Amino acid sequence: MPPLIELRGIVKRFGAVTALKGVDFHIDHGEVVGLVGDNGAGKSTLAKIIVGYYKPDEGEIYYEGERIEIKSPAHARRLGIEIVYQDMALAPYMSVWRNLFLSREVVKRIGPIRILDKKRMREMARSFLAEIGVRRRDPDAPIGKLSGGERQSIAIARAVFFDAKLVVLDEPTSALSIKETERVLDLIREMSRRGIASILISHNIYHVYNVADRIVVLDHGRKVLDVEKDRVTPEDIIDVIAHRKTPQQVLGRG
Amino acid sequence: MAGAPTSFLSLKGPPVEGGVSELGVSRLSSVLAYREVGVLAAILGFLAAFAAVNPSMLSAEAITRVLNLASDRGIVAVGVAFLMIGGEFDLSVGSVYGLSALTFIELVNHGVDPLLAVALVLAIAAAIGVGNAALTLYGGIPSFIATLGTMWIIRAFIYVYTGGLSRFAEADLGAASLFYRELAGGLATSALIFAAVAAVFHFILTSTPFGNHLQAVGGAPGVARALGISITRVKTLAFIASSVLAAVGGLVYAARFKSVEAVTGVELPLEVIAASVIGGCSLQGGVGTILGAALGALLVSEISVGLVLAGVPGYWYIGFIGALLVVAGVINQRLGWRGE
Repeated sequence: MPPLIELRGIVKRFGAVTALKGVDFHIDHGEVVGLVGDNGAGKSTLAKIIVGYYKPDEGEIYYEGERIEIKSPAHARRLGIEIVYQDMALAPYMSVWRNLFLSREVVKRIGPIRILDKKRMREMARSFLAEIGVRRRDPDAPIGKLSGGERQSIAIARAVFFDAKLVVLDEPTSALSIKETERVLDLIREMSRRGIASILISHNIYHVYNVADRIVVLDHGRKVLDVEKDRVTPEDIIDVIAHRKTPQQVLGRG
Repeated sequence: MAGAPTSFLSLKGPPVEGGVSELGVSRLSSVLAYREVGVLAAILGFLAAFAAVNPSMLSAEAITRVLNLASDRGIVAVGVAFLMIGGEFDLSVGSVYGLSALTFIELVNHGVDPLLAVALVLAIAAAIGVGNAALTLYGGIPSFIATLGTMWIIRAFIYVYTGGLSRFAEADLGAASLFYRELAGGLATSALIFAAVAAVFHFILTSTPFGNHLQAVGGAPGVARALGISITRVKTLAFIASSVLAAVGGLVYAARFKSVEAVTGVELPLEVIAASVIGGCSLQGGVGTILGAALGALLVSEISVGLVLAGVPGYWYIGFIGALLVVAGVINQRLGWRGE
């Protein structure tokens, strides 16, 4: 079976700066890959290429074995790729149900007019909140009134709700308490059990190590390490990122 | 629907800490979250105050005068609020209003069929809306500045064309006179148009996918983009709506007075933005209701009629609107969902 998504030789330039210098990357169905590296390593750029935000200048993308071009975030979503940004996934002034169905509204048609089926969306939102363990069950509550952990849970679970195959999580735990973080990491594990792949971008190596099957380290636009988690320790990863150890030193010991 | 939701997460575990879930609290705050409540209270409060000074404020005549006066302003306020919820300003509505009244009267005077003239006026307004959208979205200028520019450009055209003087309708306005015709009891058709426009735009905002997208584009553009919503498309349509409704307001004016002055609509941007903000629209976008803006327009008109009946010199009017705007702004900030 081909990987869910595979990127080969990805190059991305922004003016004089080359953010990605020929990166290969792949992820399988249900796999959890931690994407780590220092600031400016190219993690977010790579993620934004996967979710259709940027187009690579060079390189190829294969989705379930087929060569494709990801034209836009909307296109990525149709393919089953979702992104969950830190504080960027939900519109704070809009209600839970409006957020949940944003850009994928359930509608009734009256002639050419598409009318929101609010009753149905509210009902679905209510059971959805119950299932992900959010205590506040009011689908009309504005998202901004929910806790950070609840918001992040909703953002992640929304992807599952809409049958995503790959969820890209950009710093999903950076603003959360320890308990909320555990909850989010639980959600990632649950997604994996359901065959949904996750790319987890985080500065917190311990969070990544906690849930990832494999860890990819980027450094100044190049992939310097791509290793099954069991072969390394979190400290190894930190040492590679901080240039205290070479990738060869880390791998050689395994 | 594509990607129909089939799979729920069924995780067991303790609920996440930190969410407020007391039902009583959420009920109370959800009532307060309806910003129309505040402006409705202000309408009733001012009504009582004006009636205390001059009881004729409560007469049917005064009430219909308020409604008729509110109608063209209200139609424009609906469009401005709609766009403001989408995160953009339109200061050119006053000039579009004046230009539309002028163009309509001139076309009819030159023998153009009144209904064709209406269609042309609306088309011109739509084109101006597209222009405002292009300046903002492609030119990268904040809409506040872009529409300030088009406001002056259009106004200059009006001044030059009219030489600063008034124009009068010499021909019969035909069916277009229905934009303002007083019905039994003195209520004008324009008030009904205002009610219909407000109802339609309220429906679009709250009950259609486009309305959902508009709220997202205004309040959280990054989220909207990430979810694949075209910000350009949504905002362009909102700019067009704002401009076209300003033109409808101008047509009401032309049908009512059968004349237009060079300065017609000069104060309108202040009034309609004030009406929108008083009605609960946030200047940052994403927050607000059409009903609130419509009530805001009603309040502004109530004050203008009330001050006259109370014998207050007309010069005080804009001072009142300004004070009300500031108070509403502060209340909105306190009530706001912003900065939880």
